[in-house]
Amino acid sequence: MPELGRAALLVTLGLSLYALVAGATAAHLGRRRLARSAQNALVASFATTAVAAVVLLAALLRNDFSFTYVARSTSEALPTAYTISAFWGGQEGSLLLWLLVLTGFGAAAVSLNRSWARDLIVWVVPVFAAVSTFFAFLVVVVASPFASQAAPADGAGMTPSLQNPYMLAHPPLLYLGYVGLTVPFAFAIGALLSRKLDERWLIATRRWTLFAWAALGIGQLLGSHWAYVEVGWGGYYAWDPVENAALMPWLAATAFLHSVMIQEKRGMLRVWNVLLVILAFSLSLFGTFLTRSGVVNSIHSFTQSSIGPWFLAFIAVVVAVSLGLVLSRLPQLRSPTKLESAISREAAFLYNNLLLLALCLAILWGVVYPMLSEAVRGEAIVLGRSYYDFFLRAFGLPLLLLMGIGPLVAWRRASLASLATTFRWPTGVAVVTGVLLLLLGAGSSIPGLVAYTFAAFVLATIVMEFARGTRARKALGAASWPSAFGSLISRNRRRYGGYVVHAAIVMLAIGVAGSSAFDSVAEAKLARGDSLRIGDYTLVYRSLDERASANATEIRATLDVRRGDRELGTVEAGKNAYTIEDQVSNEVGIRSDKLTGEDLFVIAEQIDPDGSIYFRVFVKPLVNLIWLAGLVFLVGSLITLWPDRREQRRLVARASEVGIPATR
Amino acid sequence: MTLALVLAAALAVACVVAVALPFIREPEPESDELDDLDDAERHRLALLEERDRALAALKELEFEHRTGTVSDEDYRAQLGPLRRDVASALQALSRDQEEGRPDDARN
Amino acid sequence: MARNASPARLVIALSVAGVLAVFLLYTSIAGGGNPSLAPSELAGRTGDVQLAGLVVGPVRGDAHAGGLRFKLKDISGDSRTTVAVLYSGSVPDLFKVGRHIVVDGELQQGRFVAQPGSMITKCPSKYAPKQSGDSA
Repeated sequence: MPELGRAALLVTLGLSLYALVAGATAAHLGRRRLARSAQNALVASFATTAVAAVVLLAALLRNDFSFTYVARSTSEALPTAYTISAFWGGQEGSLLLWLLVLTGFGAAAVSLNRSWARDLIVWVVPVFAAVSTFFAFLVVVVASPFASQAAPADGAGMTPSLQNPYMLAHPPLLYLGYVGLTVPFAFAIGALLSRKLDERWLIATRRWTLFAWAALGIGQLLGSHWAYVEVGWGGYYAWDPVENAALMPWLAATAFLHSVMIQEKRGMLRVWNVLLVILAFSLSLFGTFLTRSGVVNSIHSFTQSSIGPWFLAFIAVVVAVSLGLVLSRLPQLRSPTKLESAISREAAFLYNNLLLLALCLAILWGVVYPMLSEAVRGEAIVLGRSYYDFFLRAFGLPLLLLMGIGPLVAWRRASLASLATTFRWPTGVAVVTGVLLLLLGAGSSIPGLVAYTFAAFVLATIVMEFARGTRARKALGAASWPSAFGSLISRNRRRYGGYVVHAAIVMLAIGVAGSSAFDSVAEAKLARGDSLRIGDYTLVYRSLDERASANATEIRATLDVRRGDRELGTVEAGKNAYTIEDQVSNEVGIRSDKLTGEDLFVIAEQIDPDGSIYFRVFVKPLVNLIWLAGLVFLVGSLITLWPDRREQRRLVARASEVGIPATR
Repeated sequence: MTLALVLAAALAVACVVAVALPFIREPEPESDELDDLDDAERHRLALLEERDRALAALKELEFEHRTGTVSDEDYRAQLGPLRRDVASALQALSRDQEEGRPDDARN
Repeated sequence: MARNASPARLVIALSVAGVLAVFLLYTSIAGGGNPSLAPSELAGRTGDVQLAGLVVGPVRGDAHAGGLRFKLKDISGDSRTTVAVLYSGSVPDLFKVGRHIVVDGELQQGRFVAQPGSMITKCPSKYAPKQSGDSA
């Protein structure tokens, strides 16, 4: 049935093109039925893309190797779950997934939008359609998932390193994030085109942006966890260009998320906001270009294909048109409100923007530097991890501190006296923590110590805010402390959900600082019975076993773990040898200490025929805080995303006061 | 193979219908003008937003004072200007409402 | 009305200056990065470089005892130059003859001595993350 898939995608391309042309014409000339028709086309393009997606999924599930894509990425023996993940495991399928999510979001954004925002939609449709036309063009002309062939007896199988549950969650989540950024971008461009430059487009897209940002964040954390437990080199982030490809738009989106609050409340930073959303969207396109084009030396790559130049061209067009539009609307974008004081919440958000942007651009520079130096000097110069670590500290540590300061500075103008009062307690907590840690030996890494101290400061401010807020609600007449707490959060979802997210970021910072600044490593070649000491752990290599699984032979070494004189059980580390794919994968052994969040990380690097093994062992303090932070991040994001009926009623009331019809 | 072609054709037809639907439903409409806000309505909307923003700022000041983020001094200093903002927003709105009621024509 | 210069301009200017100062500080301390070369470009180069190439057998030795020895040749192009590499440290699982790898190190007396643990392998046809080396 590849013909059905191809036909469906061709119809998608046609519909997107129609939505683009008809939508733009309708918006420009003010034609209602044409606008509606373009909107229908956008929604229909989701249906046709879904048909194509179902065709590919069905082909995968019934192992139809007449589809070249299916034969290349799966085999008969591959477990069903991984067969499903093969959908997005390669170039063509992942582009189809992108298009599916894109058209889905487009259909949802124009159909589900609230009555009070309907007048914004007319320009959003053609902008969205422009993006989906590009991706539809790619899957129809350049990289079709529906190429067919004479079916071979069996497929080529899937790379062992992709055969794990992470492959089911990590790419789709990232795509929800990347593609989700298209919605605020489309609304922003729509606002610029229609000259409706007030805050309504921000409010209309707020939850979309939050959702995309949260998905991108969690997707990245999942990717890091995958790298940590499955790839198993002892780390979770390598500043690989493809990892950075997701981090950069996330940082830009973080700046955007914060900066829009200033525009909503004070009408300021309008130019910043349109530029930030354009940057976030462009970076998400650039990110996927990096991943797919093979243009940088990276451990993740798709086949070298002709897709790179198309992406570059599209990104160039997007950036040029967007910036041109911003320039032409600049006079109207200037806000009447001015920054009153360098010490104010507005200023804090401005510093926040600057730091996040600086970090994002520093990473971007590191990623493109090899390409630029090759073009200019004929030689690709690669910047190593020390470059990224430096800037992460230079900009990340002040950002960490700002997370605690920003929410507590007054609007417009804060007096130093009031700052001193507000921050007295958190500063005290931070200083005491810093001194204690110094005494416990944390001075071995100054950036680590600084990170811990700042983290303590921010946590103290968050606890303080929750405590004071609950007390205030109790004083207002809440029935009990728990209900005061509950009503505090439900009435101020953005603020307190945001605090929970900040707490998650603090936990992340502590986990990263602990596991990278204060970790230790030991290596040795052990024969059976030999032991290895690291920190206060002793490991004894006991036995080596071999067992067979569905598609691999698993070799595992068992080690006894002891700390001091306490037996802590065993840990297994070894390798899997995959038969069909003829590849070996590393299977690390991790023993997590529930109390301290510390990990004992064991790699069996080399297994010799006589049974002696070269082991590499890490002790990673606090690393599990990173994964816990992911859960807290999810909770915080959900709180901020949760629909707020009071706010909704207000928006609808406002619209009806003006006379925006509820239906159209 | 033929099944694929039939399904594809059906899909294409359905899409054409979906796209043509607005024109099929209303072959000769009273007005094909895009229901957009005119200047008066847009002005009113801006005033409403200004009022809501001023009210929200006042509410936030109260909240932050109650939780202790804003000191008594700063609270007193900011209360006056914010209240004036709300007052002027309400005044501008009522002036606009007296001058004309653009929404009457709709209902 | 007295003309008050908006602090915003000053704030932004100082902050941008601060950020640029940080960049300048870094480049003055750490300098640039390492050139990424193909084996055919390596001859005569001194200092730390990154070598990217295709693994050519035979592969001998033990990476954890004395060092792994193999050759690298250009990934693309017609050059038949090969470079002998001595590597010690963690070897990624995907390493084998015919793989693309990237390794940091220095040319010493005609042989490329790699920095321990700096090898990164690249699976050429699929989306396959794999890396050895220092912890993150």
